[in-house]
Amino acid sequence: MSRYPARTLVIAVGVGLLAAACNASNSTSTGNFSGTTIRIVTFTGPQIAEPLQRRGPDFEKATGAKVQVITVPFSDLYQKILTDFSTKTNSYDAMVFDPQWMGDYVPSGYLEDLTNRVQNDTALQWNDIAPFFRDFSATFKGKVYTVPLDGDFQMVYYRTDLLQKDGLQPPATWDDYISIAKHFQGKDLNGDGKADFGSCWAMKRSAQSYWMFISVAAAFLQSQGTKQGSFFDTSNMQPLMNNAGTAAALDIYKQLSKLGPPDQLNNDVGDSRGLFVTGRCALSLDWGDIGPLAVDKSQSKVADQVGAVILPGSKKVLDRASGQLVDCNSTICPYAVNGVNHSPFAAFGGWSGAINKAAPAKTKDAAFAFLSYMSQPAQSSVDVTIGKTGFNPYRTSHFTNLGPWTASGMSEKAAKDYLGAIQASLQSPNMVLDMRIPQTAFYQQTALDTALAQFLAGELSANQTMAQITNQWNSKTDELGRQSQLDAYKSSLSVTK
Amino acid sequence: MSGEASARQVPVAASRRSPLVARLDRSAGAVFILPAVLVILAFSIFPLLASLYVSMTRLSFSEGGIHLTYVGFGNYAKLLVGIDRTHFLGVTVPLTPLTAVVLLVIYGGFAFLLVRYLRGPGRTVAGFVGRLVTAVIAGALVWLVVDTVMTSGRPGTIVVTLIYVGVDVSAQYLLALGLALLVVQRLPGRRFFRVVFLLPMMITPVGVAYLFRMLTDTSKGPLYPLWAHFGLTDVSWVTNPWGARLAVMIGDVWQWTPFIFIVLLASIESLPIELNEAAVVDGANRWQMFWAITFPQILPATSTVVLIRLIEAFKIVDLPNVLTNGGPGTATESLTLHAYTIWRALDIGGSAAVAYMLLIVVTFVGISYVNLFRRRVTAMA
Amino acid sequence: MVVSYALLVAWALVVLFPLYWLATTSLKTPLDVNGGPFYIPFRDFQPTLESWRYIFVDLADDTFRPYLNTVVVGLTSTAITLLLGSMAAYGLVRMKYRVHIGAIASFVLALAGAVAVVAAGGPWQLALLGGFAFFLLLLQTVGRRFKRALGNDDIAFWMISQRMLPPVAVVIPIYIFFQQLALLDTWAALIIAYVASHLPIVVWLMRDYFQSVPLELEESAAIDGASRYRIFRSIVLPLAVPGLVATFLFVLVFAWNEYLIALFLTSANAQTLPLTVAAQNATRGPQWWYMSVLILIMIGPVIAMAIALERFIARGLLVGAVKG
Repeated sequence: MSRYPARTLVIAVGVGLLAAACNASNSTSTGNFSGTTIRIVTFTGPQIAEPLQRRGPDFEKATGAKVQVITVPFSDLYQKILTDFSTKTNSYDAMVFDPQWMGDYVPSGYLEDLTNRVQNDTALQWNDIAPFFRDFSATFKGKVYTVPLDGDFQMVYYRTDLLQKDGLQPPATWDDYISIAKHFQGKDLNGDGKADFGSCWAMKRSAQSYWMFISVAAAFLQSQGTKQGSFFDTSNMQPLMNNAGTAAALDIYKQLSKLGPPDQLNNDVGDSRGLFVTGRCALSLDWGDIGPLAVDKSQSKVADQVGAVILPGSKKVLDRASGQLVDCNSTICPYAVNGVNHSPFAAFGGWSGAINKAAPAKTKDAAFAFLSYMSQPAQSSVDVTIGKTGFNPYRTSHFTNLGPWTASGMSEKAAKDYLGAIQASLQSPNMVLDMRIPQTAFYQQTALDTALAQFLAGELSANQTMAQITNQWNSKTDELGRQSQLDAYKSSLSVTK
Repeated sequence: MSGEASARQVPVAASRRSPLVARLDRSAGAVFILPAVLVILAFSIFPLLASLYVSMTRLSFSEGGIHLTYVGFGNYAKLLVGIDRTHFLGVTVPLTPLTAVVLLVIYGGFAFLLVRYLRGPGRTVAGFVGRLVTAVIAGALVWLVVDTVMTSGRPGTIVVTLIYVGVDVSAQYLLALGLALLVVQRLPGRRFFRVVFLLPMMITPVGVAYLFRMLTDTSKGPLYPLWAHFGLTDVSWVTNPWGARLAVMIGDVWQWTPFIFIVLLASIESLPIELNEAAVVDGANRWQMFWAITFPQILPATSTVVLIRLIEAFKIVDLPNVLTNGGPGTATESLTLHAYTIWRALDIGGSAAVAYMLLIVVTFVGISYVNLFRRRVTAMA
Repeated sequence: MVVSYALLVAWALVVLFPLYWLATTSLKTPLDVNGGPFYIPFRDFQPTLESWRYIFVDLADDTFRPYLNTVVVGLTSTAITLLLGSMAAYGLVRMKYRVHIGAIASFVLALAGAVAVVAAGGPWQLALLGGFAFFLLLLQTVGRRFKRALGNDDIAFWMISQRMLPPVAVVIPIYIFFQQLALLDTWAALIIAYVASHLPIVVWLMRDYFQSVPLELEESAAIDGASRYRIFRSIVLPLAVPGLVATFLFVLVFAWNEYLIALFLTSANAQTLPLTVAAQNATRGPQWWYMSVLILIMIGPVIAMAIALERFIARGLLVGAVKG
């Protein structure tokens, strides 16, 4: 089955195991599930539901299990699943969701522990999945709860043609980013005679803006590896939101709000992508989606003019003891590249499959077999290259095999460039894990997001913004119990001490 | 209590019929009214009480599911005096000379009305106490609006909602009345206009919100040439609080004017034409005819449709949610959007508390409206 | 006259231009939408039916099933609402009916009992029947002792006050309510929910229309021995047709377009179209082109209905003239 045996792995630990997996594929995960229906819920739209629906019939042919995909509007998926679980309605056997929600769903006992299944399923090729997604994203308190189907983290995209013409290098730090954005702001970048923009970001309230902000802030806040965390102090759960690092990030964020389209404050990621692929922006910050989208000629005017780099970093990082910024050196920033600390942010975490603990045993087996089937390289290496799916690369074999990428219409250079940025981010030991503690939604979507919107709109000064976020986070932490929140935060980072 | 109904009752028919039919006829009131009452009661009582309880709890997760902890009035305290005060009520500042004058004028008006009531013929103790309470609550709301809008302060979600309701319902009513008067004229093609004018109401509210987001986009929306002409391409309504609020209000007016329009239209069309003819004979001009004849007769319909619109307008959510998500900052966030945003982030207790605060305000406005305005209007008709 | 026309045309443009924009957007490619603004098909951009094809062919199941659900739920709930609501409105206008506090208390008690039975695991049909019997029993015994009553206006105000709480506050209790009745994801759940939540509007609007029906006609019928029901059916309702039509349109539009309750009460089978519209804004941002198609096919039937029924509203003219 596996057409792309990943023998050229650089980082994988179990090369031998993988080879065995290739031979053993098509055996363990497929059983006879005839008569079983897997009701699987995700959001409406082609991004996730389409691959599931497209591959459902093949899976049914192989195993007899019928896959029924139930869709709910994206904005209300979380509430809908939670209401269903908490009232014990249990209309879903499995779900493809944001693994951030594990922080709420796992402590409540709604999700099936998949640790053993994952270890026993050789066809899944678990070790082919990039270490970050395997060890952090899919894991909570040392147990595996999800099967990754998508790799989500943010990168910076730039117009190769523009930068080359003006002799500019892709940004390595956020200061570089701002100077490039300033350079292009107001110039015509796509030859239609209208003034275009230096940088297009999603800064709309209650959309994606807080992820964009964290992408900036993380460069200052986290320098010692994923386990250091970038939201709270892991000793006392104090928010890292009121210090010189956050202040620097707020300043950059505010400057960028003025180096884009006039209604940038009201743009979400759909708007900023639309602007970028129609050639109206020199720079953008986004998830992996822009790569396949930019080569889709029905939507894009910038095919093969788009490059990607790992998130820009900073030469100064936060010293948590003093709350001040200090210069990077080999002890403070062990993972720095050319003296620049990069903290690639796995915002959102990537759509992942999980199974409802309350489903019947046989259905759970079938559901796992289906999720495994979707994630196996034979299927996923094709799905991640299709622009209209929301699946982005998350397996080592997705980078090493250029075949599916060039087949999808990317030039080899563009594919190498795009995959190189992804690989650089994924292999960074300093990747930033998104927040996953009980009621994460309050911390990010309500407290952080509202304060940022108020900051951009001028309702709050930088200091007021930082104070407001810190107060709201602390008050929620105290409400829910500081110790238990701290435990959850540490276990999400797999910190055991 | 039920003056308007009891005044015009059909007498029970003489009992020429069988006892069963007669009995059924005597209980006709119950047969007619009870089904609706029971359906509404059965469906609404549980959600009403449940959400009241939820507004006094806090949600948390524990093994086996979600857990609601009773916190008393904690969620309300957060809104009124606690951490969410500036969000809900707004940022208030000390009085400036301007706001002091405005408030004095408005309070003086209240006092004048109260005194006039006390001197009038129909005064009762209950009537006075009711009016006093109304004046005090209305006074507090007016202070909140004036002090956060006309100063360097910042309006909270409750003030933004009051602004939406006030502006939207007035604008919708005036527009609808004007349009209804235009299409009752015997102009050729008026049936076309009647159907066209109904269209905005028929689009799903979420759809209207997205439609207005398309239209108000300053870089790829249809109004781009207009912006470009005035050299406004590098400013955006989005970054200005009042610009954003205006966009929301225009959308709401566009969508709901038809609702008032059709009710007024049906009402005007069913008016007896003889009065108008007599007035024409007496040499009245159109303006006089409208004020003296048409307007008083459509007042009952007006009062009903305005009440319904008031109640619905307080719940405005889709437009600000889609258009701006409440931004810039919190400038366009209505109470329902406030409740919805924190509800999505699982603060269902806080969300229910916001909803109940809204319920209190709407109930206050509704009762004052019915007692002070509608009752007088229907008694007149 | 010229001024009148100018004003009418001006507002018609205000109404129609956004709809024109929807129609052209549905014919644009994503590139045209994002690179715009483009106004006139063939001149400014090359129209394509791609979005229409996507909605009707690629998404056929996800379009037609919700469409059918919307039609069934919309029409059924509107018909029931109109029937119950106009009866209640007529009763409130023409009959002196006093709901005794005791009756309300009995009903609440009976309902609480029924809910308790269901919560304890009893079958809901039985609980409903038992609850009803219990209610009648209470009403005949205890209920009679409390004589304080509510007047017609109080009932009407109480009804409309049920619309004051924003849906977001009550949607989870409503979900639990229907979950207990095992009606989630069915037409019945949506129909019941819409009937209950739109009844107050029907009652309020129809009260005004019934009030304008000439009392003399009803009185003479009563003297001829017609029962209340007969008067209502053969005299009052026909005379109130314009009002009924207008109200029908309102309620249909509300039920047709409702989002939040539909979101929670349905999952795989009974989803309605507003969900499909809202869902076009997912992780990729709003898909304007698909959204435009969906909005257009959603308003199609309602517009047809409005055109067909508009003449009945106009007939209000005749009724008014006759009544004098």
